[in-house]
Amino acid sequence: MPDVRLQEFERQLLRGGVAPSHARRSTLEIDEHLQDLQDNAVEDGMSQSSATTFAQEQMGDLQLIADDIICRVELKTWACRYPRAASVVLPVAYLALLPTKPLFAGVENAHIIARWGGCLMLGAFITAAMFLGMQLSIALN
Amino acid sequence: MAQTNPPFMSGVPELLLLRLLQQQEMYGYELIKSIKTVTSDAISIGEGVIYPVLHSLERKGALKARRKAVNGRTRVYYSVTAKGRKRLDRLHGEWQRIESGITAALGSPGHA
Repeated sequence: MPDVRLQEFERQLLRGGVAPSHARRSTLEIDEHLQDLQDNAVEDGMSQSSATTFAQEQMGDLQLIADDIICRVELKTWACRYPRAASVVLPVAYLALLPTKPLFAGVENAHIIARWGGCLMLGAFITAAMFLGMQLSIALN
Repeated sequence: MAQTNPPFMSGVPELLLLRLLQQQEMYGYELIKSIKTVTSDAISIGEGVIYPVLHSLERKGALKARRKAVNGRTRVYYSVTAKGRKRLDRLHGEWQRIESGITAALGSPGHA
């Protein structure tokens, strides 16, 4: 799990319009790189806290790295690269997909629907059993 | 029209990365260590700067990346594609042109 600085780094990339796959991978790679630097520094005899500081210094300013990634158009999401096309296509796509929303909602909440369905079936079964009992008592009398 | 040199400074990490990855696939930390070794520590860069370059080259089709789990760590290995090799040739030619221009300028009689 990346530390708070790296989590903020990833959020900054996402806010800057960087594609989630690149934002996630950049964070992962920088996290791994920092760990490598730290491990090597500790092996060379540094204390853990000195190694952490050393690794961060070697890595450079995360803000500058984030700025460098954000300014590269090719790493941005499709919607950020083609904002005009996105402003036309995305609303149309959203409207086209709107009717399928209940289906997705059903799939997402399948466990709740199953529980409700189970309760309804049980209720119907108990009611039917009661009616059957009443009918039989009338018929047998 | 005079040819400009956009990769004059900004293209240096790109040139180095493509050259090193042409030899074998590597991950970020390995690449930095290789840059230090092959340049005898002459080039000192913030180590994080390679990741935007690597991702950018991958998006342009010059590199391909694959994840590999090594000793419980996730490494992203990069290797050069055919497109990347062509890009390297072009950048190499560009660099040689700049280098010969600067060498000529430094060797000219006006230079103290």
